[in-house]
Amino acid sequence: MRALGWVYLSAVFLFIFAPIAASFIFSFNSDRFPTLPLGSFTTDWYMRAFSRPEVWQAIANSLIVAGVTAVVSTFIGFATAYTDFRYGFRFKTAYLALALLPPTLPLVIMGLAMLAWLSQLGISGTLTGIVIAHVVLATPFAMAICRLRLSQMDPALEAAAWNLGSSQWGAMRHVILPFCAPAIVSALCLTAAVSFDEFIVAWFVSGLNRTVPVMILEILQGNVDPQINAIGTVVFVTSMTLVVAAQFLIFRKRQDD
Amino acid sequence: MTDPLVQFRAVHKSFGSYVAVKSLDLDIQRGEFLALMGPSGCGKTTTLRMLAGLEAPTSGTISIGGRVMNNVPPHQRDTPMVWQSLALFPFLSVVENVEFGLRMRGIAAAERRERAMMWLGRMDLQGFETRRIDQLSGGQRQRVALARSLVTEPEMLLLDEPLSALDAHLVIRMQGVLTRLQKDLGITFVYVTHSQSEAFAMADRVVIMGHGAIEQIGRPQEIFRGPKTRFVAEFVGRNNILAGPVKAGVMTTAQGPVPVLSGDGPMEIVVAADRVTLSRDRPAGAAIRAAFLSEEFAGTGIICYFETPDGAEWKAQVTETQLAELHPESGQDFWLSWDPARVHVMG
Amino acid sequence: MTRRFDPYPHVLRLPLILWQGAFFVIPLIFMAAMSFWLVKNYKLEPNFVFDNWTRMLGRGAFWDAYWITLWRAVLAGIIASAIAFPAALFMAFRLSEGGRRFALLCLIVPFFTSFLVRAYAWQVILAESGPVNAVLGGVGLVPYTMLNSGFGAMVGYLTLVLPLVVIFQTWSLAAIDRNLIEAAGNLGATPLRVLGSVIIPAAKTGLVLGAVFAFIMTFGDFVSPFYLGGSKPPTLTILIIDTTKSGQQWPRAAVVAVVMIATLFAVASAALRAAYGRRG
Repeated sequence: MRALGWVYLSAVFLFIFAPIAASFIFSFNSDRFPTLPLGSFTTDWYMRAFSRPEVWQAIANSLIVAGVTAVVSTFIGFATAYTDFRYGFRFKTAYLALALLPPTLPLVIMGLAMLAWLSQLGISGTLTGIVIAHVVLATPFAMAICRLRLSQMDPALEAAAWNLGSSQWGAMRHVILPFCAPAIVSALCLTAAVSFDEFIVAWFVSGLNRTVPVMILEILQGNVDPQINAIGTVVFVTSMTLVVAAQFLIFRKRQDD
Repeated sequence: MTDPLVQFRAVHKSFGSYVAVKSLDLDIQRGEFLALMGPSGCGKTTTLRMLAGLEAPTSGTISIGGRVMNNVPPHQRDTPMVWQSLALFPFLSVVENVEFGLRMRGIAAAERRERAMMWLGRMDLQGFETRRIDQLSGGQRQRVALARSLVTEPEMLLLDEPLSALDAHLVIRMQGVLTRLQKDLGITFVYVTHSQSEAFAMADRVVIMGHGAIEQIGRPQEIFRGPKTRFVAEFVGRNNILAGPVKAGVMTTAQGPVPVLSGDGPMEIVVAADRVTLSRDRPAGAAIRAAFLSEEFAGTGIICYFETPDGAEWKAQVTETQLAELHPESGQDFWLSWDPARVHVMG
Repeated sequence: MTRRFDPYPHVLRLPLILWQGAFFVIPLIFMAAMSFWLVKNYKLEPNFVFDNWTRMLGRGAFWDAYWITLWRAVLAGIIASAIAFPAALFMAFRLSEGGRRFALLCLIVPFFTSFLVRAYAWQVILAESGPVNAVLGGVGLVPYTMLNSGFGAMVGYLTLVLPLVVIFQTWSLAAIDRNLIEAAGNLGATPLRVLGSVIIPAAKTGLVLGAVFAFIMTFGDFVSPFYLGGSKPPTLTILIIDTTKSGQQWPRAAVVAVVMIATLFAVASAALRAAYGRRG
């Protein structure tokens, strides 16, 4: 019974992780149409992919978008988490809905709405447009992480700072921000990862300024090309580095208090 | 005593429909150790927080040193507080915690370090300055919190149940530390607690609060022996209360007639547990009959609990020897007697 | 009592309201309004006509897409829940605390890998000449066409939603009071009865939430039906993209989007009422 359980659990995990592993393996496999048995080891796909200037342009775009998105969405997410932590007010439910609903909306719809609206504003097809859309999508994650951290804080800590002579802004700077520092760094990593992987809204909004996943999408529409595995593996490693860094910071800090 | 440091005048505080403090009038003198005592929800912490500026009074005025403080934000007051949770900053070292108040006041790094180190020394914490807060024991944290609050040399220190998280033996030691500190510094301590023993052991004056209002103010002994209201008599504990009309030196109570020395008309008297004598046979004078329930070992002796025929609870304090002699068993009837000259008449 | 205006709370509260207002709420409202506009000479013209609505809702193709999308989302919710449940049960009751935390942590990993790359990997794995068919051929079976079909799309949907469904289910199952289960066992209930009358009712919220999220994600997914399902029949998401990208007919795409939001809202609120409403 127990062995059966392990087999079943392994099968489910195998299904979930098969494409991730396969993409990694195929990226080093010489066959254009991989099958079993595998072909020989090669780094050819990486060479080819990263010798293309448009790939580097896309990486640069992705990094810019992810970086700016991370900073802006972490700022908004932190301010929102703090507001939720400290204040009660009328329409707070609506306020929190605004903070948490965006990820439940299908990205295709989000993409269409963004495209239409940003076109009205005249910023469709720019990196700014992608950043705007990604901040909407990433802020809830930043908010959740910062809120979690604040819920671990003794509320008297802030009052203690006022009591010892710091103004509200002083307490924010000298107490709340230092306390939340690990969560803020985690939020920066996680929101960057969200932005780095998002392709549907970016595809709608991007125009000629493609990010890495948008470029993958467009290559995919052409034909089978193992370069995608190479690029995908690099994207995966980047995102995972960010996520693991974020996790590490959250967990390390939790052991402290 | 004509120039109080703090004056509460008709102070009222409500949170929505909940009234936390109502028409509070209170003077706090310079250099006194004042305890605000009462059960949870009595408004004592709200009173303290209003003094620190953390809550604004709904109406009335609070003045400190003659200046009305109602609209002064907390950081512009000099009312440092020791918190129930201590509220030490976990991301700062011990000495950085102590320095915090000086840093916020813009005092130069060298001077604030020197002053912080002085206070750490005074609190027997030398050698701990670079430690993190979570590397300290409960008693050490307590002293860091005190040093942090006192480093700005305030006229007044607020303490919100600071000892409630400590072990019993540490509480006694910290009580000594606090009273000595207060006498040495000569500043005002305002100490909020629900613990009778803490308040009575340390305070010059005790304010008993109930349901948002002051029930009684007085020296510990006055309150202990002379509770003014039933609320105080019950809260202060180990008191037995008898009520009824008095006529010709006899009070008619639910427990039967008992002699009293004076008075006429309806009256309430308090018989302290340590003034009750137990016997199996009916003694002469003031006594009632009650069934033994259980005993409890308290610091000062043994408290025996009784139930009178009409269901009231009575307490009597006895010594260990007396308990051994009486050897009470649950349900046994006893006579509880007292000297009518040593009861307290309320009102 | 007069108090000076304190900007502090507003400075912290406003960023979200401004940003999500300007770039989440308004775009959605604008999109809904746009569904009544017209396109002339490849340019949007503000208007208030029901043209797009009658045209889109009058098409058989639209309703085919609607029902196939709805059906697939329901199916994915059911299949994902059914596949996830034994795994979640095992993780909740047979793994140690640490083992469970590690497994859940692993399940978060897929959220940070490009779904596009994973879909592409499935394209290769499931291809006519791919590894799976190579294995099937090795044991003497004829190659099976798995791509460009409902099956292919479902593989994609499950890849997308399974981790989340397992996480939700494991959370809610692990939170059940063990005493409850032991008590039922002591009262002579068979394991199957304990499952049906104690465990499932107690974990209801998580089970429903898992299924609802699977539904929502499948309903809005474009990658699986397009790259693994061969986009025939088209789903609503494919319809939106085709209408937007090729014909510049944003208002008609907006009609589809509004219908999708309404459907999602109806399903999600009904399911949440079921999850949080009467217990047991």
